[in-house]
Amino acid sequence: MTYINGIGCISPQNTFRNDEFLKEVKEYATDKMLCIDPDYTKFLDPGAVRRMGRLLKFGTTAGLIALRDAGVETPGAISTATGFGLLDLSQKFLADVIATQEGVVSPTSFILSTHNTVSSNIALLCGCHAHNNTFSQRGFSFESALTDTAFMLQEGKQSVLIGAYDEVGQFAHAKFKHVGELRQEPCTSSDILSKENPGVIMGEGAAFFVLSKDKTANSYGSLSGHSTLFNPENADELRNWILDFLTAHQLQVEDIDVAALGYSGATKQDALTETVQDLFKQSTITAYKHLCGEYMTASAFGFWLACKMMKTNSVPDAVIIENRQRSPRVVLVYNSYKRYHSLMLFHAC
Amino acid sequence: MEIFIAGKGIITSIGNNVTEILDSLKKYKTGVGEITILPTGYAGKLPAAEVKYTNQQLSEISGLDISHSRTTFLSLLAARQAIADAAIPKFDSYKTGFISANTVGGMDKTENIFKEYLADSATLKLTETAYHDSGASTEVVAEVLGIKHHITTISTACSSSANAIMYGARLIKSRQLDIAVCGGTDSFSRFTLNGFHSLMILDSEPCKPYDENRKGLNLGEGAAYIVLVSERVAATLASQPLTKLSGYENANDAFHQTASSPEGKGNYLAMSGALRSSGLKPEDISYINLHGTGTSNNDLSEGVAIEQIFGTHIPPVSSTKPFTGHTLGACAAVEAVFSILCLEKGIILPHLRFTTKMKELNFEPCTKFLENQDVKHVMSNSFGFGGNCSSLIFSKARA
Repeated sequence: MTYINGIGCISPQNTFRNDEFLKEVKEYATDKMLCIDPDYTKFLDPGAVRRMGRLLKFGTTAGLIALRDAGVETPGAISTATGFGLLDLSQKFLADVIATQEGVVSPTSFILSTHNTVSSNIALLCGCHAHNNTFSQRGFSFESALTDTAFMLQEGKQSVLIGAYDEVGQFAHAKFKHVGELRQEPCTSSDILSKENPGVIMGEGAAFFVLSKDKTANSYGSLSGHSTLFNPENADELRNWILDFLTAHQLQVEDIDVAALGYSGATKQDALTETVQDLFKQSTITAYKHLCGEYMTASAFGFWLACKMMKTNSVPDAVIIENRQRSPRVVLVYNSYKRYHSLMLFHAC
Repeated sequence: MEIFIAGKGIITSIGNNVTEILDSLKKYKTGVGEITILPTGYAGKLPAAEVKYTNQQLSEISGLDISHSRTTFLSLLAARQAIADAAIPKFDSYKTGFISANTVGGMDKTENIFKEYLADSATLKLTETAYHDSGASTEVVAEVLGIKHHITTISTACSSSANAIMYGARLIKSRQLDIAVCGGTDSFSRFTLNGFHSLMILDSEPCKPYDENRKGLNLGEGAAYIVLVSERVAATLASQPLTKLSGYENANDAFHQTASSPEGKGNYLAMSGALRSSGLKPEDISYINLHGTGTSNNDLSEGVAIEQIFGTHIPPVSSTKPFTGHTLGACAAVEAVFSILCLEKGIILPHLRFTTKMKELNFEPCTKFLENQDVKHVMSNSFGFGGNCSSLIFSKARA
């Protein structure tokens, strides 16, 4: 069994306090949703906070929150995921290079812009000399880190810090707006579930977890498995993959208490998600991207939602699409990002 | 379970395939020279090791349209060679993964349009930016190759492709895959050139790793992949694999974002961990392919860690970066192919331009191309920003 013993989440909602659970939901009336910042100086050196850039700050801090929550000082390995990496820092560096016509530029933003900056920064802060990995495969980034984490636990590591992070980079936002993937303003974030208007709201966030083979008093539940599917030919292939996954875990569709679905506002994806929803006629159906927006590693926010539901044994109104009065003991998260589909299965303790 | 190497493919500044590259190594022919392909103000001022094809030529050779990034063209050319070399009967009947690595992604395309974007974001040319992220090239190449079971990208700076190889091996050991095509790719770009220049770690002359008078690294570009297979797949091959991946370790220096610790803690942990995972002793290693970038900091930390592990019995060592430049996310895969060649051919590769031993170290690199060597186990090191340190050990399939 793989237990989740600590969590840390910084997102466009108030999620960084682990003693609260979506008490108030923040609505967004734009085509992007940015993280609500905690007081970073409580976690990081104030001087460093000024240099770091947003993603490095909220990514690192989410990791530190998860470690504190689990009571783990130094994990046995760190495995992370990011779709775009540190977009704003790399673009700042590129802008400097252009402005100086390849002249004298400060190396700071270049140094901090590599994809592994967050995972290595956490390693630096907690003195972790062990395995340190960073995956970047669009909608499979976090899922690859889950696979990597499973290897580490199998190989005997006591605990692994896993996390995912992405930011609304200005450049990527401009690109998605230009291709028409974003929702036309005026819009609101809760509209994402109404299906009346197409288009996603670009989101961001960092979610970290401490996974271990050992259960603790703080355990949120267990991760029973995950699976990925790239570019299914049709809805049947998608549904069969889900049914096969459940069968492999000795479950029927009716055993799923809560299904958390990644409705994003992207028309094609949402049509497939609806066919997934149709499988779960007895489960409480929930959604999460109206809270965090769409980004390549949003499945990690779904992972966070599952953890909080299991630990509090509650399903907040803010996430419910169809309430079938089920207590969240067995939770399935289904996420999609363009052609990337993934499943994560959880059991409450 | 043993992990065999069934095939390899490579493209770098010293050749477009294994045969050409082996020939360049034998003839001490470097790929480091004047920048002629990348449009940069540093052309003529800083040397680099470019693949001497324009993007248009790479597009034609690879069969991918010109909208793709240079990183993707290089990746496809090398990965295709690797799969052809492996010649696995009924390839399509197996569970196969494509595990690639890179650090720049499609930055070469993005930097071309970034000036216009800064002036007016509405004029953004989409064809130039669709492949910006690191996962893009992996997705494109996997689809061209018909690989679907597992695709992912690792980006841990200069150790990226070593970690891709380890991850692929674990996927096979855990029976999630039968075949894993693993490696990395990176194109030369103004982004990385200016970045490394701003850090003042580029040598304005061809680099001299492990030399007392070393002044920094030269950047390179390229891609390389190896085909890892399970014992079951290996048994079906017409020619039995000559080499295997026998050990690996990913460790972290946790010292500084870009500099490595003076005692080489991460380097030590990676090398000693790889030895432990292979069940080998230091004296079993026949040759070490160094990370050996040519920066003051890297070569010292790596060298000190080697002495800590190997004591006074240090096997022949060399860095091949004086040939290929530092190919960043691709370097561990490029050097994995070199290590495998050493095992297959019984050779030790030369270290170019070495003149003066580092005063802190008691050993010096091998400067000759040695043939008829009894090469049984090769260690290959890759260390990067963020303290990411990885070591791989390749061995003869039957030692």
